[in-house]
Amino acid sequence: MIEARGLTKRYGSQVVLNDLDLSVERGQRLALLGLNGAGKTTLLRCVMGVLSFEGSIEVDGIDVAAAGKQVRSRIGYVPQRPPLFQMTLDTMVEFFSALRGVPSQAISERLDSLDLPLAETGGLQLRELSGGMLQKALLAVALAANPPVLIMDEPTANLDPRARGEFMRALRGVSPETTVLLASHRLDEVEMVADRIWILHEGDRVFDGSLDDLRARAGADSWLWVRTHKEQRDVVRAEFVRKAGEDAVIANGTHVAVQLPADGRAEALARLQSNGVPIVDFWVVGPSLEEIVQGFFTESTS
Amino acid sequence: MSATVVRALVRRELGESLRSRWFMVYSGVFLLGALALTLFGLSGSEIYGYRGFAKVMAGLVHLALLFVPLMALFPATAAIAGEREIGSLEYLVSQPISFGELFLGKWLGVSLAVWLSLMLGFGLAGAIAVWNGTPWPLIALLLALTLLLAEAFVAIGLLCSVVARSRARATSAGLVVWIVAIGLGTLGIMGAMLRWGLPRFVLTLWGFANPVESFRLGVIASLDADGSLLGPVGNAWMNALGVSGVIALCLGSLLLWTLLPTAVAWWRFRRPQSWSAL
Repeated sequence: MIEARGLTKRYGSQVVLNDLDLSVERGQRLALLGLNGAGKTTLLRCVMGVLSFEGSIEVDGIDVAAAGKQVRSRIGYVPQRPPLFQMTLDTMVEFFSALRGVPSQAISERLDSLDLPLAETGGLQLRELSGGMLQKALLAVALAANPPVLIMDEPTANLDPRARGEFMRALRGVSPETTVLLASHRLDEVEMVADRIWILHEGDRVFDGSLDDLRARAGADSWLWVRTHKEQRDVVRAEFVRKAGEDAVIANGTHVAVQLPADGRAEALARLQSNGVPIVDFWVVGPSLEEIVQGFFTESTS
Repeated sequence: MSATVVRALVRRELGESLRSRWFMVYSGVFLLGALALTLFGLSGSEIYGYRGFAKVMAGLVHLALLFVPLMALFPATAAIAGEREIGSLEYLVSQPISFGELFLGKWLGVSLAVWLSLMLGFGLAGAIAVWNGTPWPLIALLLALTLLLAEAFVAIGLLCSVVARSRARATSAGLVVWIVAIGLGTLGIMGAMLRWGLPRFVLTLWGFANPVESFRLGVIASLDADGSLLGPVGNAWMNALGVSGVIALCLGSLLLWTLLPTAVAWWRFRRPQSWSAL
């Protein structure tokens, strides 16, 4: 669905994307990770044909450099910062139905499915909508024509947790046939959306694989938290210390946590159960995406 | 080029320009000023005859000199820099539209907003003047030159808007052009001539190089063939080219001031990085 060869982007003497080859199949969902300035947004803009570049990119078999407008008709786009046009949601629907060549009905049906019915919100100015509502409106515009490609550039970066949750739920409506490119800094977003990850660093691709591959390579541990009865806490703690060492265990009231790699968590829980320790609840607190990416760079450097 | 897309872009740009507070203020003042000048000016026309109408026209010209460039500059400087600043330009270019459609939509939208406002102001004043005996070709010429002056400043404003990195800078640049064009009118160039003894061709060139001066000379030349109201620049032109030559040169100058900045603005705009705030 997306094929890039020798993709290079320079701003003067600065190389922002360096001779990248990219192949994304139909229905595949690729997350772009990397530190700020790694080239994620630039890569997305090149794919949409709104930046000039060296090399070649094809989307759905169409040459991006030669037919940018045609390519963009096959791409739905959700930006990080919603554009605050001075118009009502009703007007926005009419405006973008004209720009995208889709019936306004298609956008309003999408809005309905995203719990943003025009009958209730259509008369509101865009600046009166919350950030979450705006992003959902942009998602409705992006998906109205059922484009084969959906590009999202940190779509939840400016949303509060509730709005972020709503937006992530809205993404469940994206067809499995849709190819997704997502630039993100959020692990939950990447976990929910992506089945493949690229890490960009100073314009180079330094990782291409799944999130599990990345976790394994980054060596990033997560915390297994267990809640038990107060009198059993020290038993759990001792078991965890035996497994991971004193420095990797925290005990707090009825809660005990141990820092373990992914493949050690199930075993630790099983051992507690086989020892007859009653576990009231348990949960895992994983590393943030920044920690994983940072761990990846540390591991790569060493 | 899709007509549906351009129409949608024009409609949106027109709406945003007409809703702008500054645009409403300038248009309102222009309308009231044009009506007042016409009504008061015409009250003496029974005594002065055609010369009375000429005085009305001269008043309208000087009103237009001050307000028309501002009415054009404010929406034009905001058209691209303002959108770039709030991130909406990035979103627009990511849609299935071409840079040409976007630029054309903005140019037409802003132009239409300014033209509508001018047609209302000068249209009403002109209708009253014609009703009271002013020859309609005179009013038509004044209106045509005014629309052309507006278009020249729409072009200058768009160029500022494309080049500047923020709306405030684009507006400031537009205002500097306006101040230079107004401030370095006849009086400025006369002062410079007296101070530095500039040669005569500088006057002629200045009249051609300054769109405001071209507009003023074009209208007044059509009213006052003997050149008594034209000032030093107009006199220099009138002696060299005659009335029709001066009017043609003024029209040409305004046309050039419309086409050249528009072409440069388009050249800059179509460079892919021009829409990005980064």
